[in-house]
Amino acid sequence: MNSKKVMIVYRKELMEVLRDKRTLFTTLLLPVILYPLLIVGFNAIMARQTGVLEKKSASVAVQDSVMNPVSMAIIEKLAEVENYTILPAAGNAQSLYENKDIQAIVSISDSLTASGLTTYQVYIQYDTANEQSMTVYSRLKDKLAESKNDLLHEQLELRGVHTDVMEILDVRPIDTASSQRKMGMILGMFLPYIMIIMLLTGASVVAADLVAGEKERKTLETLMVSGVGRLEIVIGKYLTIITLAMLNLVVNLFSISFSMRYMLSQAGMDMSGASLPLKSIFILLAAMLPLATLFSAILLSLSTFSRNMKEARTYEQPLMMVSMIMAMISFLPAIEMSNLMALIPVINIALLFKAVMIEEYQISHLLITIGSTLILDVFAIWATIKLFKTESILFRSDDDSGGVKAIKKNKASFFSPYNGIVYFSIALLLLYYLGSYWQTQDLWQGLLKTQIIIIALPVLLIIRMLKLKSRDVLRLKAPKLLPAALIPFIAIPGAILVAILAQIINAIYPFPEQYLENLTRLFNMDIPIWESFLIVAVAPGVCEELLFRGLFPRFFEKFGVKFSIIITALLFAAFHLDPFRFVPVFLLGLLLGYLTLRSGSIYLSMFSHALNNGLALFFTAFATQPWIKVLISDSDNLHYWVALPAAIVFGIAMYIFHKTTGEKPCVE
Amino acid sequence: MIKVQNLVKEFPKKDGSKFYAVNDASFIANDGEIVCLLGVNGAGKTTTMRVLSTVFQPSAGTAEIQGWDIRTHPDKVRENLGFLSGDTGLYNRLRVHEFIRYFGRLYSIGDAEINRRMDEMAELLDMKDFMDKKIEFLSTGMKQKVSIVRSIIHDPPVMIFDEPTSGLDILTARNIVSFIRSCKERGKCVLFSTHIMREAERLADRVVLIHKGKILAEGTLEALREATSQTDLDDIFIHYVNRSNLETEVQAHEF
Repeated sequence: MNSKKVMIVYRKELMEVLRDKRTLFTTLLLPVILYPLLIVGFNAIMARQTGVLEKKSASVAVQDSVMNPVSMAIIEKLAEVENYTILPAAGNAQSLYENKDIQAIVSISDSLTASGLTTYQVYIQYDTANEQSMTVYSRLKDKLAESKNDLLHEQLELRGVHTDVMEILDVRPIDTASSQRKMGMILGMFLPYIMIIMLLTGASVVAADLVAGEKERKTLETLMVSGVGRLEIVIGKYLTIITLAMLNLVVNLFSISFSMRYMLSQAGMDMSGASLPLKSIFILLAAMLPLATLFSAILLSLSTFSRNMKEARTYEQPLMMVSMIMAMISFLPAIEMSNLMALIPVINIALLFKAVMIEEYQISHLLITIGSTLILDVFAIWATIKLFKTESILFRSDDDSGGVKAIKKNKASFFSPYNGIVYFSIALLLLYYLGSYWQTQDLWQGLLKTQIIIIALPVLLIIRMLKLKSRDVLRLKAPKLLPAALIPFIAIPGAILVAILAQIINAIYPFPEQYLENLTRLFNMDIPIWESFLIVAVAPGVCEELLFRGLFPRFFEKFGVKFSIIITALLFAAFHLDPFRFVPVFLLGLLLGYLTLRSGSIYLSMFSHALNNGLALFFTAFATQPWIKVLISDSDNLHYWVALPAAIVFGIAMYIFHKTTGEKPCVE
Repeated sequence: MIKVQNLVKEFPKKDGSKFYAVNDASFIANDGEIVCLLGVNGAGKTTTMRVLSTVFQPSAGTAEIQGWDIRTHPDKVRENLGFLSGDTGLYNRLRVHEFIRYFGRLYSIGDAEINRRMDEMAELLDMKDFMDKKIEFLSTGMKQKVSIVRSIIHDPPVMIFDEPTSGLDILTARNIVSFIRSCKERGKCVLFSTHIMREAERLADRVVLIHKGKILAEGTLEALREATSQTDLDDIFIHYVNRSNLETEVQAHEF
């Protein structure tokens, strides 16, 4: 790589981007104007609203069942409140209150203590769900406190006690939160969300322009025949997007910071000594940099994949939606930063942000966040470079949008990545709403219904509707004897290896108790073992394989066999709606995808899947048997040494499998 | 000099089979010579040129530009090659001199040298009035001149023109044609593609006929006239296309 040429590309792109009025507006101008307007405006409306409530007239009904000078004095005191009308409570007071014609009902009664003192009880009936009623209550309470003071004074004087006895215990709260932390609390709630969205918005405008825009304007070819290599072009463009994203971020951070400061000082909070939380801002920028690079890489690869800017903006939408939802985690008060959370992109930044703002972050979380984001980042930029070197993607011209018309014309065009994702999303929604509903009704029946109706049936229907041969499309072909015989030696040690990996993950990042309970419930037998074997092992083996190893790989075949295995494995893992098992299920998906696509027979992965699930059932069923203690330790975990023989058997079986199957069957 | 040897470029089709955009093509273009790649739309002209300019990787065979192999030395190939096509886009937000300087720098030419060449070309092509303008405000003719300067800012010995006059009005097209001639006069090796017979007849020293990715014939116009006993290039072209179709049919019958 020629870094000088990278810089030439970078400088030119930056100059060009900064001359684009649209980019300038979204990255620089919008944040500068938006936050002061938003915060100051919001502040003004709030202040006005509270002011209006304070001054708003209210009617209070008073029921005085004492009717002596003391109670009269109390009522007189209440009447001092500006704009408040005090009415004697009539019989219809309750219905007036319900109609909101009066905002509170005060009733005064008295009683006699053992020492002969008359005491007064004042009941205030008000509505905590009504802002005006709340205001009325607090104003009445203040007045009643004054009355109480007056009464006490009177009594003390009467008994010849000096009134300073009233100050005998003076409670004075001291707020230890610095102005910085107060500001941090407020900022930490919504800042991460806004920042992550801003980062994406700022980067996406530029990213779409840089590659898809060049394709659209027909300048990309000119650039590629000039004296610069593809790697230099990609890196130069990549740096441009990161720069703009970070620039956008800095402008946003400072704009928000200044506006908030203004708001706090307006609200009368003590701002003396509270400087801008500069240190926090720098830590946040350091943490945001990897996220900026990750977003930039993803956006750049989307832009490279797209034929024009419009398409690029469409592909950016899902990324935007997912990031928005993940960033919203900062609004949830109960969720705090942990080592596990620090591994999940976007969420880690949102939580770290929150922690930094109240100055309670841990350096380890910061490091895990940066590290895990950087690892993803390397993958994303690698994929972008790879895409940029793929001719068929860089010069994509044929229409493969997969619309209804195109499908009618050519049935195979149904199998586009776009349709694959749509299909997956619909299935996921059905699983989430319908499947979990069925399962709460009756766990076993629900599981079976989910497998058959949501997962398997649509696959067969689609094949029928398209009038395709299910035998060919779904690879329903009899396997050869040797590979089939090898499956137990692949599936069982494979499952053991994955289980041990899950144990290691569990040891580092413990699963929540509740989660483990739910999982055991799945394997707890209150039905005959052959029935649970059918539901937990056979049904998923057949149904899930039809979808994930039969239909789905067809959608992604154009990316090549390797990619389609990886993508379907990712979807397979996501489909289990279980973040704790994502990695193990993903690995299982990779294995199953390989078995089918390599051998050309889906029966092998069905068999393997059933064995894998059956093994878990087997261990649970015989957990109490003494002989199984050889394999399983007391805490229901496999002994770590089991991994060694499992790895050896797995390795040998996979080697023979690979040697005896060809790559041919996956391309038909 | 351009030397193309058994060049193949295939693209995968959706049904899994392969489409041969360029199929076993071989030809040569010498220094000081204008060679025309002639063929109908979709014959494989643009693909051939994209492979020669290292935008595409060849599937088989290879080619040399000024002695540099396009497979092993793509950087050197690009340094020795000027590329211009009819529908080349420009960076609208850059000024003309910025645009030209950008490409000059990408060829690792020093700024002083870029300025010298830019002044020279601006004088030659009558561009002085708009060197400081933003490209988005230029007319089509002006833009074409900017593209010309961009393509020769590194003074390459080999020039490739992909349908250089397509989509241009007569006056602008004429500028391009005279530019192509001037390249030859300066001893450059010129390869240009077109589907317009007249253009080929007017400009080319030699013609390479390409059809469905295959080279049908190659030679000077006189040689082709003699071989086919036709005088018009149109007729020569049709003669070869018919013969090639016939051959395909015969082959089909043999199997």
